[in-house]
Amino acid sequence: MISQFFVLSQRGDNIVFRDCKFSFFCSFIFDSRFTYNILAKQKQGLDLYIALPFGGYGVDCGAEFAFQSYSILSTVVVLYISTELIDRGEVPKGSAEIFFRKVKFWKEDEEEEAPPVFVGLSNVDGVNYIHVKVAGLFFVATTRVNVSPSLVLELLQRIARVIKDYLGILNEDSLRKNFVLVYELLDEVIDFGYPQTTSTEILKSYVFNEPIVVDAARLPTLGPASMFMQGAKRMPGTAVTKSVVATEPGGRKREEIFVDIIEKISVTFSSSGYILTSEIDGTIQMKSYLTGNPEIRLALNEDLGIGKGSASLYDYRSSAGGAVILDDCNFHESVRLDSFDVDRTLALIPPDGEFAVMNYRMTQEFTPPFRVNALIEEAGQLKAEVIIKVRADFATSVTANTITVQMPVPTYTSRIESYKNDFHRRVKGAVSVGDIVKFSSLDATEDLSCTVGVSFELEAGAVGQTTDFKEGAKRLEWCLKKACLSHIFHQIMIVSFKLLINTLHLNLKTLQIVGGAEHTLRTKLTFSQESHGNIAREAGPVNLNFTIPMYNASKLQVRYLQIAKKSPSYNPYRWVRYVTQSNSYVARL
Amino acid sequence: MAPPPIVQQKSSSPSQPSGYVFFLPSLSVLLLNRKPLRFLIPSYCLSRKSEVSDLKLQLRQLAGSRAPGADDSKRDLFKRVISYMTVGIDVSAAFSEMVMCSATSDIVLKKMCYLYVGNYARCHPDLALLTINFLQKDCRDVDPMIRGLALRSLCSLRVPNLVEYLVSPLSSGLEDGSPYVRMVAVLGVLKLYHISATTCFDSDFPASLKNLMLTDSDAQVVANCLFVLQEIWNLEANKSEEANRERETLLSKQTIYYLLNRIKEFNEWAQCLILELISKYIPSDSNDIFDIMNLLEDRLQHANGAVVLATIKVFLHLTMSMTDVHQQVYERLKAPLLTLVGSGSSEQSYAVLSHLHLLVMRAPMLFSSDYKHFYCQFSDPSYIKKLKLEMLTAIANESNTYEIVTELCEYAGNVDVPIARESIRAVGKIALQQYDVNAIVDRLLQFLEMEKDYVTAETLVLVKDLLRKYPQWSHDCIAVVGNISSKNVQEPKAKAALIWMLGEYSKDMPDAPYILENLIENWDDENAAEVLVFNY
Repeated sequence: MISQFFVLSQRGDNIVFRDCKFSFFCSFIFDSRFTYNILAKQKQGLDLYIALPFGGYGVDCGAEFAFQSYSILSTVVVLYISTELIDRGEVPKGSAEIFFRKVKFWKEDEEEEAPPVFVGLSNVDGVNYIHVKVAGLFFVATTRVNVSPSLVLELLQRIARVIKDYLGILNEDSLRKNFVLVYELLDEVIDFGYPQTTSTEILKSYVFNEPIVVDAARLPTLGPASMFMQGAKRMPGTAVTKSVVATEPGGRKREEIFVDIIEKISVTFSSSGYILTSEIDGTIQMKSYLTGNPEIRLALNEDLGIGKGSASLYDYRSSAGGAVILDDCNFHESVRLDSFDVDRTLALIPPDGEFAVMNYRMTQEFTPPFRVNALIEEAGQLKAEVIIKVRADFATSVTANTITVQMPVPTYTSRIESYKNDFHRRVKGAVSVGDIVKFSSLDATEDLSCTVGVSFELEAGAVGQTTDFKEGAKRLEWCLKKACLSHIFHQIMIVSFKLLINTLHLNLKTLQIVGGAEHTLRTKLTFSQESHGNIAREAGPVNLNFTIPMYNASKLQVRYLQIAKKSPSYNPYRWVRYVTQSNSYVARL
Repeated sequence: MAPPPIVQQKSSSPSQPSGYVFFLPSLSVLLLNRKPLRFLIPSYCLSRKSEVSDLKLQLRQLAGSRAPGADDSKRDLFKRVISYMTVGIDVSAAFSEMVMCSATSDIVLKKMCYLYVGNYARCHPDLALLTINFLQKDCRDVDPMIRGLALRSLCSLRVPNLVEYLVSPLSSGLEDGSPYVRMVAVLGVLKLYHISATTCFDSDFPASLKNLMLTDSDAQVVANCLFVLQEIWNLEANKSEEANRERETLLSKQTIYYLLNRIKEFNEWAQCLILELISKYIPSDSNDIFDIMNLLEDRLQHANGAVVLATIKVFLHLTMSMTDVHQQVYERLKAPLLTLVGSGSSEQSYAVLSHLHLLVMRAPMLFSSDYKHFYCQFSDPSYIKKLKLEMLTAIANESNTYEIVTELCEYAGNVDVPIARESIRAVGKIALQQYDVNAIVDRLLQFLEMEKDYVTAETLVLVKDLLRKYPQWSHDCIAVVGNISSKNVQEPKAKAALIWMLGEYSKDMPDAPYILENLIENWDDENAAEVLVFNY
């Protein structure tokens, strides 16, 4: 079913490579059906296979070597590659290389991002490449048969999760440190291309290597990798970064269970502030470190309703009594729904590792956590003013963090400034820093950097909260994705750079917004040419990124989490956490 | 650059001479970084040989040792050997030492040794022969884990002239008391088939698998039997009549119901592959169809998208001939599919959306009230946005055209130019479907006022198409088109569209000759076929 599985870093380095049909490890594997000149040499009793793309450099290495092609899929290991070839950068292209080139230079049909499923060399070799991006790594499977893509995509995602369960943290570093363990896992997960088991629970009895734990605190903030996570609709893993097999320093495992209710919300506001669409995609995620797998019961809101009858029309009439009505939901296979219809309780024996107990979708009306109003108006010739107002519509006990406001501005914008207002000079330490606007230029030779006074202008009512502001928080960043991704996607980025240069990226990373607060940002734009017509059509929309811990928009609650007791003294730690994240939070101009 | 991997931390091991520390990082750089490669090659080549022979020496010293802690040092050495192997360094020279060291009860060591053996056996058949003995011995170990692992490694050697050694461990593996060993043995049969099909048939393995499939208590064993039989009979089907018949029996009512009744015992991946098989099954009557659908109904609530999609495939295939039920199935599928779109990563949503796309194309009416689900989200990657735009175009009808077009117009100003273009085209396509043309034409003309080159270009092409279909709108359109400065029109298709309109409606446009004049001035530089064709 699956021919090969490999993990690539963003730079295209092979981190893990497994040929599922043959047990080979190698860094350079290529497909024999692809036209290559195969040159073989006998040296010191060892076969040296050297491969060249057809019509490549005419290295005179003797007779052409025809090798045996075994079955549908045939691969050859390049055991040793002459240094001369490496010097010229002419390393044979393996499937990993072909994949990487495709992804990197994806331009078919004007698309800029390679879709998760594509054919290798336009039907020449019949290899399908299927990949997912997790934690900035490519998890790739290749296949020659007509297998369900969603099956492979789900499998890849699951493999990534199993590896994460074992290693605690999934990144390049931890993979490289634990590659023997990863291969061991892969051997049990996929045998001869057929998926066997992906349950961390069952794998535990087959896998014996101990993970080498990578210290989470020591990790760099994944510069380029984090971009992937932001871009993709990544479901954030729970904050737990502990391996399922690792033992605590004390030698005893801590008995605990984490239940996270994670909601991704999508809201679109019209220019007049009216809600055009709103949707919540939620997951109840569980990670269990309980020994002996006791049964647990998870009780949800008693008045929880599922399905809106046959009508799936969006209607914003609030349902009677404020009951939570989900449009639809699905459950993990371990969940038993015997009493779900009666008292909305889920019974399950949680397997080890992280998994989604339940996914749900809701289009019922809810109060969006933020009201966003954005306005752009012309302020004289070659000038415009942007006013973005964000109001937090939740309890003051809740604080949202890592808020980012993004707004594309017209292409011909030459200068952006936000300026201080006298009022704020009096607020001690509140608004002082952040006088830098960073420009990254198209090519490195020309640096557009320009420093402008920048600040947030706050409404009088919000003064009380300004003390929450930290130094450096009020920075207006002219942030370009190019800078973050330059490593791998250099080529692609140059293309999309032209698009992205116009994004006003307000980075309020350290800014926290407390419930009930209202913040207004005023920014002046200066243009290099006169705008024609409607300026609002050329800018925007404003997008908000945020995370709000201990808040959920849907009001779905875990009433209780009951763990079957093994003994009277058995009292494991239970963590129930709520997180709301923005998926697409857009205000139009 | 990422920090150097495994090797770095190895240097702290006391059992190794400190000399390693100096060149090991250079190897890791080889792994991680392409550029410095050139400068490192000489030292790497020099050190490679001495390193391998050094490893050999150390392995040999440890081979017979029963001292406490010997296994730990072996583990470290094995790990190093394997790390070299994965980087592509040839460590086959240490083969016999590795085999010697593997006479151990430590399962971690054994596993690493199997990895190593599996990698080198095919290229070194003579060395592989060395391992047969200890692998066969391990196949009779008391620990089922070791039996299974040894059997798997034995089958993965892929050395044709060693096939004879495979048959007996495989047949005893198929009858092993441990499901793990049986599971491995079943796939071992497939491996054997790929090395030597005749040996596989001579030993009558397919028949034993068939028997095992229908009787085994372990679901994964059953699933593996099914996979193997499917693959073998599919490959053999062209060659023999018998294989063809065998392939048919996999689809017999008896087999299908046997699998269906046990479906919940299988893990999600096996479920997908079994559902795939069921989708090929031809039901005998409508009761048959409803039985299967009732059995599988709850699979639609599975959290794994692949299971849901496989179930959907079965449903759609089964009801193909029953039009009214088929429509009901569509209704039933909608909610679970829409939930899946939002619940996974964007790659998973892509797979689900691609399926939705197909359904939408088949039955646009059914989705006409769900159009809001297909609005593009800020964070969607372009491949998803594109699919959504196509779906929005397909489901537009009298009731929702206004909303959809309003939404699409928002995307026209998008920073993502390809998507902006795509949405303008989508607006045009909807207009050609004859819904609410009046409002759409107004919108299109507004696009022209945005004065963005690509927007103008796309819009001109669309206006031209619209005028061909609805000449009655010419008056409104021409007024706006006449104002366009030809300098802003660069793309050949747009130029061609502009020229066509100028020619067709010249009597309504007093400026037409002047605009054409501008275009003619640049005639010599023009080389796009679309534009040139208008010369004649």
